[in-house]
Amino acid sequence: MSFLSLSRALTRRVVRTLRLVVVGGAISYRALFNWTTPPMFIGTLLVSPLLQLLFFVFLGRQLRVADDRFYLLGNAVVSASTACVYGGTMAVANERRYGTLGAVLLSPRHRAPLWFGRALPYVLNGLLISVFTLTVATLLLGLRIPVGALPGLAAVLLAASAGCSVFGLALGALGLRFRDVFLVSNVAASVLLLLTGANVPRETLPEWMRAVGDVLPLTHAAEAARELSAGGGLDRGRLGAELATGAGYAVLAVVLLAVFERGSRRRATLDLM
Amino acid sequence: MLAIEAKNLRRTYSSRTGFLRPRRTVTEAVRGVSFEVARGELFGLLGPNGAGKSTTIKMLNTLLLPTSGTARVLGHDVASDPVAVRRRIGYVFGGDRGLYDRLSALDNLRYFAELYGVEPRDQRRRIAELLDLVGLTGREKERVEGYSRGMRQRLHIARGLLHKPDVLFLDEPSIGVDPVAARDLRRTVADLRTGGTTVLLTTHYMAEADELCDRIAVIAGGTIQALGTPDRLKSRVQERDILEIEAYGAADEHLDRIRELPGVRGVAAEERGSRQAVMVQTERGADLHSRVLAALDGIRIGRVVTREPTLEDAYIAIVEESESGADRGPGAAAADRSEEVVA
Repeated sequence: MSFLSLSRALTRRVVRTLRLVVVGGAISYRALFNWTTPPMFIGTLLVSPLLQLLFFVFLGRQLRVADDRFYLLGNAVVSASTACVYGGTMAVANERRYGTLGAVLLSPRHRAPLWFGRALPYVLNGLLISVFTLTVATLLLGLRIPVGALPGLAAVLLAASAGCSVFGLALGALGLRFRDVFLVSNVAASVLLLLTGANVPRETLPEWMRAVGDVLPLTHAAEAARELSAGGGLDRGRLGAELATGAGYAVLAVVLLAVFERGSRRRATLDLM
Repeated sequence: MLAIEAKNLRRTYSSRTGFLRPRRTVTEAVRGVSFEVARGELFGLLGPNGAGKSTTIKMLNTLLLPTSGTARVLGHDVASDPVAVRRRIGYVFGGDRGLYDRLSALDNLRYFAELYGVEPRDQRRRIAELLDLVGLTGREKERVEGYSRGMRQRLHIARGLLHKPDVLFLDEPSIGVDPVAARDLRRTVADLRTGGTTVLLTTHYMAEADELCDRIAVIAGGTIQALGTPDRLKSRVQERDILEIEAYGAADEHLDRIRELPGVRGVAAEERGSRQAVMVQTERGADLHSRVLAALDGIRIGRVVTREPTLEDAYIAIVEESESGADRGPGAAAADRSEEVVA
């Protein structure tokens, strides 16, 4: 095979994989995400996190645990979790609802681009929600964030959304094996709220809870975002830790999806609703 | 090379119930199925509900691993080389489910075109061809949630054909489809066979199987009971007459009474709205007309006709023989299903 034809074959392969990630991801988002209609999207993903943020800010003021900035940044980061955790779960579990899981698993395509394509819209969703929550809450509460911190904040929020989306996908992988996977998502969303330090200063938590928080998505991003907004600059170590956590969940998601897909052929669990 | 080759396929399902005192139930759905399908052949797999048809298809299309035995599709082992098998096959489900309701037909096909590796430059043309083939052109931008059952079924077929599979599995494709749509479906399947596609079809409609299939396997109780051309299967009941009686309210006791009559070889009843069609297979020349009607004494009787046996009669005879054989066999019922307390 000549270099030219080899290069053409490679390009074709890359284009096809990118299409599976981008086009496939976008179509599957419309097919499987429950909150795509404007009322559902605005109510569930924009208004709810904003109200949660305000709740914790005013509670924090009352209890004098931490200042407004602590809750504002923590909640802006954790606001991505609803879209990312439930989105990742819906990306797999809703296939059962529509009875399409068999048709999807009959695809001969590689599974990593297939499933990660599904997580991509949730990364963008999470980023949008965090930016919206941060912007509106900052205006409402009259806080200032240094302009120079904005690029760093954008990078941190993107890393948080990406990490949280693959975390959601790893939970969604359980949907290939278990029926009631949304129960796991509910618990996971509460765990993120408690252990990432978004609303509870981590130094007040027992050591084992801090240890668990260290390996959860959003924890390091929340800390990095607070430092940035306080004018402390981008902590590359924390950003790196957030990215590493996300990479860990990405690997876990791939492994779980492969194991449970293989298991579903052995145990005949695909047809169960 | 054969299109499909199944050798002694077996599949066992295991389920666990109970929390404090868990019980494991083991069901043998397929118990040693072997058959071969040549390239370009249209092969029918018939059998009653729970006979093992869908389980067999799911093992062949790689959705299920066989508990034991082997199967190859176009030379590729379904257990060890599933990706190669998936590249060459299409699978059409029967029923309402299996499509993304919130998406249009066009978007459903676009998505599965990506999943099944249809070249991007070919997708638009291929999807348009298939929409035309299944008669959904003009309705392709409507959401699937508003589709009738027949339209959904046609969309299932379009999806199964997106990547031009060499082997197509059709799992009860005409279930719930109206007669006109079913006729169009049969024409589409026949055209596919003419075009060289190998088709494995499961159906409950005997006329459909008789019209389409080159060969038929009748599966019951997880094993193949008969295999051959439709004519060959029909020849099994050629020495019989069929007495078809329109009845209103025939119960099991009536059918049992008919079964006990000397010269009766089999009885089946089919619900047809408010009435039933009672089919009585008798030995050729045995005039049992009056005795059968006497056995149905007390219920309203409509039209009574004597006719030549059809594939449906052959099918009923095969299934009834297998059931009576299973009843007679030592521990036959226990072989299907067993329960044990999990320690």
